[in-house]
Amino acid sequence: MTLLELEEVGKCYRDGQLEHVVLREVSLQIQPGELTVVWGLRGSGRSTLLRLAAGIEAPDTGVVRFDGRDLASNSEDVLGAGIGYCQKTLSRDTSQSALDVVIVSLLARGIPPEQARSRARQALERAGAQECATMRLSALQSTESVRVALARVLALEPRLLVIDDPIQGVDLLERDEILALLRSLANDGVAVLASTSDSAALSGADRTLTLSEGVLRGPPPSELADVLPLRRATRHAGA
Amino acid sequence: MQSSVNWALLGLVIERPSYAYELAQRFERTYQAVLSVSSVSHVYTALAALKSRALIEELPGTRTGRQPKPYYQATAKGHEDYGRWLIGQTGEDRRRLWLFVLQLATFSANPPAALQILARYEQACLTEAQRTPITPRSRTALEGVPDLASRLAHEESRLTLGAKLAWVQYARRELSAHIDTQARP
Repeated sequence: MTLLELEEVGKCYRDGQLEHVVLREVSLQIQPGELTVVWGLRGSGRSTLLRLAAGIEAPDTGVVRFDGRDLASNSEDVLGAGIGYCQKTLSRDTSQSALDVVIVSLLARGIPPEQARSRARQALERAGAQECATMRLSALQSTESVRVALARVLALEPRLLVIDDPIQGVDLLERDEILALLRSLANDGVAVLASTSDSAALSGADRTLTLSEGVLRGPPPSELADVLPLRRATRHAGA
Repeated sequence: MQSSVNWALLGLVIERPSYAYELAQRFERTYQAVLSVSSVSHVYTALAALKSRALIEELPGTRTGRQPKPYYQATAKGHEDYGRWLIGQTGEDRRRLWLFVLQLATFSANPPAALQILARYEQACLTEAQRTPITPRSRTALEGVPDLASRLAHEESRLTLGAKLAWVQYARRELSAHIDTQARP
């Protein structure tokens, strides 16, 4: 069953008399456990696409549905309780610890403190950031920051993870660690929608698309057919 | 020397001096998806070609049977020529891309057809990019896979594909502008 569906979604921004079309009748379906990566140059509308997919912004035309429900009327219910939008900026207060940051996001959703602490630790471990738990945000390296940002979202147990430029700023030799983490989340059944300007982030995805001039393009389903069964097979094999 | 097999074999000799049979095995393991040798005798032929060009030299090997097994190592000229050939491959890639662009340009009278070809090219790049495996360093270290070469190759491939995807965006804009110009009265 389709988890996220964008149906002929359009978005434009106005600057006085000028109208800048960012998305033109974009359609996309994402299934549970699918890792979808959208590649685009800077200013291509990737971030807008992700904000619409996460229900943070509403489209001008078309519909965005999560689990069959129109996000335009349900986004507040869904964001954080189904859709996890990963913001890589962790906090303005860089004296906070990584664990605090994750706990705070859970407390904000009414999780009791003890439970929040336990879930935060689990999420940090799942994101490979358990060693950062007591570190101040100011002491985190770029890769660790991404892991903590992911942990903050994973603590909310999303079914769809949306992340903009997951490997931007990450050390060249550590990018694949982050990509492997996203892949493993998808293998665990979380749908992942990522955008990137770095072609390395396309590695290991179930579906890759480009976005330019407001149009989403990618291999037709027939060309994907020989890739997806392979991914699913390795997933069942525990790879 | 034109043969890719010969150059690939020279690379293996540079990596580690070996006996012919061992080189044949290493060749298969290293280049299995890219190059192949028909038999061990093919390796002997290639070694003879490398030796005649003074790129490798034969050392007396261990005597296991009636005849000693020769042992091959690269000469200083072998190291130097191999490095030069490697750099030359960059030009070879550029030549292939240039050829593709020239062939695409034959569609300049029919930009919609060229746009279709571009779309197929973009799809091929995307498919290839997604098939490039994720190779985290920690995992390969744990598995003990001699994976430096594959990580380097994958990264080169990913960066090249990124450049091609960016080029497709540029070419698409150019062709669209060309269509707009043609449509004006």
